[in-house]
Amino acid sequence: MRTLYAALGIAAISALVLSGCSGQGDEYSGSEGESVTVGLVLEPTDLDIRRTSGAALDQVLIDNVYQGLVSRTPSGDIVDTIAASHSISDDGLTYTFDINDGVTFHNGDDLTVDDVVWSLTQVKDDAELRDHELLSAVTKITATDDDTVTLTLSEPDSNLLWNLSGRAGLVLDESADNDLSTTANGTGPFTLEEWKQGDSITLARNDDYWGDAAKVGEVVFVYIGDTTAGVNAALAGDLDVLTAVDPNLQTQFEGTDFTVHEGKTTDKYTLAFNNQREPLDDVRVREALQLAVDHAAVIDAIGGAGVEMGGPIPPLDPGYEDLTSLRPYNPKKAKSLLADAGVDDLSLTLTVPNIYGTTVANVLVSAYKQIGVTLTVDSVEFSTWLNDVYTNHDYDLSFVDHLEPRDFGNWANPDYYFGYDNTDVQKLYTESVRATDPETANEKLAEAARIVAEDHAADWLYNALTLTAIHEGISGFPTDSPNARLDLSSLSVTT
Amino acid sequence: MIRFVITRLALLLLGLLVASALIFATLRILPGDVAQVIAGTDSTPEQVEAIRSSMGFDQPLLTQYIDWISGIVTGDLGHSMLTGASVTSQLVEKAQVTFPLTVMSLAIALIIAVPLGILSALKRRTFTGSAMSMVSQAIAAVPVVWAGMLLVVVFAVGLGWFPPQGFPRDGWDEPARALYALILPALTIGVVEGAVLLRFIRSAALEALGQDYVRTAAAKGLTRTRALITHGMPNVALTVVSVLALQIAGLLVGAVIIEQLFTLPGIGRMLVTDVGNRDLEKVQGDVLVLTGLVLVLGTVVDIVARLIDPRQREAAA
Repeated sequence: MRTLYAALGIAAISALVLSGCSGQGDEYSGSEGESVTVGLVLEPTDLDIRRTSGAALDQVLIDNVYQGLVSRTPSGDIVDTIAASHSISDDGLTYTFDINDGVTFHNGDDLTVDDVVWSLTQVKDDAELRDHELLSAVTKITATDDDTVTLTLSEPDSNLLWNLSGRAGLVLDESADNDLSTTANGTGPFTLEEWKQGDSITLARNDDYWGDAAKVGEVVFVYIGDTTAGVNAALAGDLDVLTAVDPNLQTQFEGTDFTVHEGKTTDKYTLAFNNQREPLDDVRVREALQLAVDHAAVIDAIGGAGVEMGGPIPPLDPGYEDLTSLRPYNPKKAKSLLADAGVDDLSLTLTVPNIYGTTVANVLVSAYKQIGVTLTVDSVEFSTWLNDVYTNHDYDLSFVDHLEPRDFGNWANPDYYFGYDNTDVQKLYTESVRATDPETANEKLAEAARIVAEDHAADWLYNALTLTAIHEGISGFPTDSPNARLDLSSLSVTT
Repeated sequence: MIRFVITRLALLLLGLLVASALIFATLRILPGDVAQVIAGTDSTPEQVEAIRSSMGFDQPLLTQYIDWISGIVTGDLGHSMLTGASVTSQLVEKAQVTFPLTVMSLAIALIIAVPLGILSALKRRTFTGSAMSMVSQAIAAVPVVWAGMLLVVVFAVGLGWFPPQGFPRDGWDEPARALYALILPALTIGVVEGAVLLRFIRSAALEALGQDYVRTAAAKGLTRTRALITHGMPNVALTVVSVLALQIAGLLVGAVIIEQLFTLPGIGRMLVTDVGNRDLEKVQGDVLVLTGLVLVLGTVVDIVARLIDPRQREAAA
């Protein structure tokens, strides 16, 4: 026991010695001086918005630092940003953007139509840049006068405006030569002040912003990968906002100055079946695996922060309909489906990136056991998953979060890792993309999604709700889809 | 003595060379690469291939290895394949957390281990002595990560004496605050590593107690405690120094885990992130420096041990 007493003694003495300069809690907090500290989970690997993939980058930089011709709201609407207005010709082949006057980059340069044309052309021409393929329908990008940019398409593309609200539509400074990996020269209400790799990203208010200035002077994003450490940091006063609160820990905020808000997302926690691999190429086997799972129990296991979904499209996206009736919990039927398919003693491996924990995997193991399917869980690093599952399609089952909004196109791409190849779905998806009115586009999408769900091409385990803990006095922090975008232009602090 | 030093230095160089080959080869076994990480989940195989060749991955492995080694010889440890930051600058930046953390952990380990190890040897036949021995054995078996969580629950969340995680973003601009942030992490490593060290010191002290010179000193009228402290200590010190060299490696491993747990922006956390991103050029540079550090320390300890041990010194002469 002595060792322990000694340890406790040292702890106590150090605490006494240092209590004079401890300044714990409040002093660490950023709620003074209009600085807001936000806890995030995943840090970007690199800041190059043109080349490096990952929502972690979009989340912090798009809308805040970089801006596009248009941007998207948390509820999925398109709003003009660098464009003052836009119009689409009736045949859907010409998009005209009227560019705002007086837009300036952080380095002081004025934004011109030439910057817009250059930025879009780069993405269109360079296959190595992110979202290059999203501009494939665009044939010509021209400045028709000093305030107008026109995009000409070879065929209609009902996704184009949405795609332009992402990386493909961002406008960068043609004459700047800053290193995009570590710095950013955008037009947004915040400038990128500092990236302390492995720790934090600091944004500062752009005092020369061309629109309405941001309300806070500084935002610090602190990256805390461990969910418990995140909650501890918030409770100790190190954070003003904590995103992605672990639902099983939310009770810790009860009776504190934090309020936990529930937000909608397009995060689809997808249990993918390798549709190309026996016996998963048999729809009866896939249906059996889906019927074996009590989806309400899955959501309970993750702390209740999810909604059931029966198909590939979540409620926030166009083309959504409730398809949960296609996969009622029915282990008995699941067993007979397996028998019909002539499958017994089935053993499958589930490949899951270790960032997702083991809770859901454990539920699946016991659910499948009931219908006589042995599931082995292989928990791997995300980069291993990228190699084995995403690139080489070497897997039986895989479980990851597909958080990108409007990503139904993956089901129409037989080369995607799902390996789902259905010509009807591909045809409907193309018709939806080519549609010139949104209603037709959505109808076709919904029809395609229903086919995918009826084919039991995957098991969409749940559509996540996300929890954000916000300290008293902080307002204007977006709580819907915070993993995709965190527009902080209306964030404010009241003291 | 000089011949000994030269042999040791030659062995050190050989060790570094072998280590570099091992590090390079081991990292190449990992599935996945940085091109896939950059490209992510919305890319075509052609895009990944394009990134790969622009990074020089299409070169033969031996060419890549030789490129790396020749860089090191000229003092260039390499760069991050993602951000282009140099390995040296990143290591120097992150060492500002990891180095003080390691030193503090070591100090805590010594403060715990030396007096208690000797005490438990002296009292080995009493209840206190065996209790201490058992407790230290138990603590030595505790995983650092579990000890860390326990300390966080008690001292950070429960009592609120220390911050539960994090390091000031201004680094050492305010030394007191930086130091304060490192106490709990250092305590975690220090207690566990201290318990391990205590075991070694206890057996070294026990061995010394059984030696003729201690018995002779006791026969001359010294108490056993005095005899051990005045005559036995040099031998105990020898054990401490040799074990310390091994412990440094343990401390570094401890730092990797603890930096994750406490979200400290140090070398350990950087390594875990870089391996996850498959930033291999950076990882191999980092790991080689750390391996080099352990090897150099081992060599220094060997030489120091020889200097402080008259028997070895004379044998060499």
